[in-house]
Amino acid sequence: MAATELSLVKPISPMQKLNRPMLKFSTVRLLNPSQFRVMATATDTTNTSTTPKKKFSKTEIKESLLTPRFYTTDFDEMEQLFNTEINKNLNQAEFEALLNEFKTDYNQTHFVRNKEFKEAADKMQGPLRQIFVEFLERSCTAEFSGFLLYKELGRRLKKTNPVVAEIFSLMSRDEARHAGFLNKGLSDFNLALDLGFLTKARKYTFFKPKFIFYATYLSEKIGYWRYITIFRHLKANPEYQVYPIFKYFENWCQDENRHGDFFSALMKAQPQFLNDWKAKLWSRFFCLSVYVTMYLNDCQRTEFYEGIGLNTKEFDMHVIIETNRTTARIFPAVLDVENPEFKRKLDRMVEINEQLLAVGQSNDMPLVKNLKKIPLISALVSELIAAYLMPPIESGSVDLAEFEPQLVY
Amino acid sequence: MVAPATLSLRPCAPFTSHQHKLSTFTSSPCPLTVHLLPSTAGSKLASSLALKKLSYSPVKALAVDSDRTDSPEPAHQVKPKRYYFLVANAKFMLDEEEHFQEQLSERLRLFGERNREQDFWLVIEPKFLDKFPDITKRLKRPAVALVSTDGPWITFMKLRLDRVLANNFEADTLDEALAFNPVDLKFEKPQTWTAPYPKYEFGWWEPFLPPVSNSSSA
Repeated sequence: MAATELSLVKPISPMQKLNRPMLKFSTVRLLNPSQFRVMATATDTTNTSTTPKKKFSKTEIKESLLTPRFYTTDFDEMEQLFNTEINKNLNQAEFEALLNEFKTDYNQTHFVRNKEFKEAADKMQGPLRQIFVEFLERSCTAEFSGFLLYKELGRRLKKTNPVVAEIFSLMSRDEARHAGFLNKGLSDFNLALDLGFLTKARKYTFFKPKFIFYATYLSEKIGYWRYITIFRHLKANPEYQVYPIFKYFENWCQDENRHGDFFSALMKAQPQFLNDWKAKLWSRFFCLSVYVTMYLNDCQRTEFYEGIGLNTKEFDMHVIIETNRTTARIFPAVLDVENPEFKRKLDRMVEINEQLLAVGQSNDMPLVKNLKKIPLISALVSELIAAYLMPPIESGSVDLAEFEPQLVY
Repeated sequence: MVAPATLSLRPCAPFTSHQHKLSTFTSSPCPLTVHLLPSTAGSKLASSLALKKLSYSPVKALAVDSDRTDSPEPAHQVKPKRYYFLVANAKFMLDEEEHFQEQLSERLRLFGERNREQDFWLVIEPKFLDKFPDITKRLKRPAVALVSTDGPWITFMKLRLDRVLANNFEADTLDEALAFNPVDLKFEKPQTWTAPYPKYEFGWWEPFLPPVSNSSSA
């Protein structure tokens, strides 16, 4: 466990994920134990691997250290899991209800642009402009990576479970829509991502179905909470409405919320991922990893959040608390994030991470740098382990949880 | 059968029950029907709400959406309809679970855009609960139910809300199905409010309450 958490050290680089979609799939990757070696040896080269992937129409963009990866999974195992022949007790009613909901297509006509976008982009200059471009670029890539994964799952499950397959296809519709909308946003800044090229040029990272469920559930739900929080904050404080894309977040994030519900249903259909001690450990692990990654990342880019009038740490804590409450309706255990000690630990991690980054940016020789990093990394790891070992909260869906008979509704 | 006054209101309101979606009543123009509101609804609130709802959807109820294929039936024939519901205490449904508002508004918006009649309501202290002792013994009061004629949607909402109890029942009329006992709601301010935005205003649920109910006069 320690080793896998160590891999968190790396992802927290200054150019990382600005918003939820970033978190979405890149987080998954960071959590994969098998990735650790790769990342550890590739420490300072991770960034170069992504360099030639984009084609920009006018300006060159500074390459990000960690651009979100594309994901792939064990499709045969997925087919087994949702094969209605093999699993006669699959709760198809929930899937059919979800399919209905996705077919309804609430946002069919939502993503329509207007001239405010270009005007706002033209007004934006200096560092804020740069930070917005990065925000759009990385969000677009991440939404697009969701599109690819869901699209492929939709294709692969068609025979064994047409209902689940169609839901995946409809979710890929949403992701494609989101990615396209963000890419249009880039055009306001005279930039564009070549998504076709990305599809072919990117490396795909493998991830087992079980981990896809936990991580994707969390990232969809945390994505909902991030978007709705920004939306409601800007609604209350319109003077910070610097770019019109935020006005679309309220409807947009309902898609994310529904995607999360679907993963919830997928897990309920596979209770072995929810009902034993291993499931509890993994649940806590994924919660911690996702929350810490977001917190450290966002603290690296406070300019963005302050630029839209938010206090970064308060914003993140709110998102973590709400995501955790939501997640407690499906994961068998969650972290006690409302315990003030949890935030204190996060804040200490931020300090250590800042020191780590300072070492990375210093002019020391690589060997010296690595030596200087050792105590910092071990300090970070021990904070992570301590946070992981904080007494958890028993949780879960009332359809499965042992505590259900005692509940008063 | 439903009181004539309420019926005349139905056709142009977006929340008519299914069996009333037919052309029988569409002859009365919307603005007029406002005056036909039964005074039994009593409160200023109810009538102002009805006004709001009427203006929300200018379409005639005549429009039958394509994905609802119930065969037309004359409105004077009473045929029991099945209502699906989720229920939990009011504090959970309306205060803690406030983002639930976004979902209901989204759905109401969609129904307006697609000329679909509203088929879901929030009912505070519904009378139908008396039929479900197994539910009421596990329920804090006052309780709030989400009621709909759309079973699959309720299944989906159960997946979303999770901490709610679900069941269904039959009723002859919408009024019967949505009848409630009047109750005053009060929520304590949350001890910790971590959000960088204000809470949705008390009463956000009003657009989703039953259109008009005689039971409120009881």
